[in-house]
Amino acid sequence: MTPFDLKNKTILVTGASSGIGRQVAISANKMGANIIATGRDEERLKETIDLLTGEDSQYIVADLLEQNDINQLVEKIPSLDGVVHCAGIVRPYPVKFISTDVLHQIFDINYEAQVLLMSQITRKKKLNKKASIVFSSSIAADHPYKGGALYAGSKAALEAFSKVIALEFSHMEIRSNCIASAMVKTPMFETAETQGTKERMDEHIKKYPLGVGYPEDVANTAIYLLSNASKWMTGQTITLDGGFLLGDF
Amino acid sequence: MEDISEFIKKIEFEIDEIESETINPETKFRELEEWSSMMGLIFIALIDTEYDVTVNGDDLINCVTVQDLYNVVKSKIQ
Repeated sequence: MTPFDLKNKTILVTGASSGIGRQVAISANKMGANIIATGRDEERLKETIDLLTGEDSQYIVADLLEQNDINQLVEKIPSLDGVVHCAGIVRPYPVKFISTDVLHQIFDINYEAQVLLMSQITRKKKLNKKASIVFSSSIAADHPYKGGALYAGSKAALEAFSKVIALEFSHMEIRSNCIASAMVKTPMFETAETQGTKERMDEHIKKYPLGVGYPEDVANTAIYLLSNASKWMTGQTITLDGGFLLGDF
Repeated sequence: MEDISEFIKKIEFEIDEIESETINPETKFRELEEWSSMMGLIFIALIDTEYDVTVNGDDLINCVTVQDLYNVVKSKIQ
């Protein structure tokens, strides 16, 4: 038994069909948690669940952009001891080309869906006392980049939202924190690589003293935040950047 | 798709402080003084907005001249 134990905890993971979400499901399950994996792709959610041990994990297919799907998901889930929000997208767009369409495309999944999901979960009283909420932010929230108006903005909004959750539910000892990561090797990393160029990405990663991040690096931090080891931590953002922001370029 | 002169006008409009008619089909756009990674993002967004076509960073890298870029966009429209 370690303070990082997640035994008998039920954790909802969004974006669990790939990348960081899938790894959070696997790592939290290894620490004893029962996982409810959600996402849009049933096949890939099944693959995630097949990688877990124990009988009490399950997947529920849901498109978090649909209010009905959110409602049904919340209806189906048992009471939770943790939620890890991993659904998200990245798409660079210079300010002068931002349109309502592009704005919605990014904010709907990176912010609105997570807000509406938390609203339903709390309204339906699906959070146990001492539950822990974890949001996936980015170092871009505080250290944005050209073309990142919408992505960085959505993550900054998410960090503010996390703090309000921390305040509004502290009477139940429910905690809410963010993990702000730099570049992590996931399918989204591959997307970012094609949006820019591989050369630029390689150059960027060279600025990380500890190299690029891996999904398990984020998942292990999520374990800390989900576990009782972090019971005095709330409303915070943990930065995971392999030393990038130390600025030794 | 409209002809290349319209395409060039749109590109010139997006490059701040460039003299008009600096660019022609043979211009090696990545060798322009004004070129930067931000210009790359702007080109990608311009093409997405104006032609509803997605080009990525590697498409840009593979293009040398404005004519090359025009051809890529044109081929993706068809």
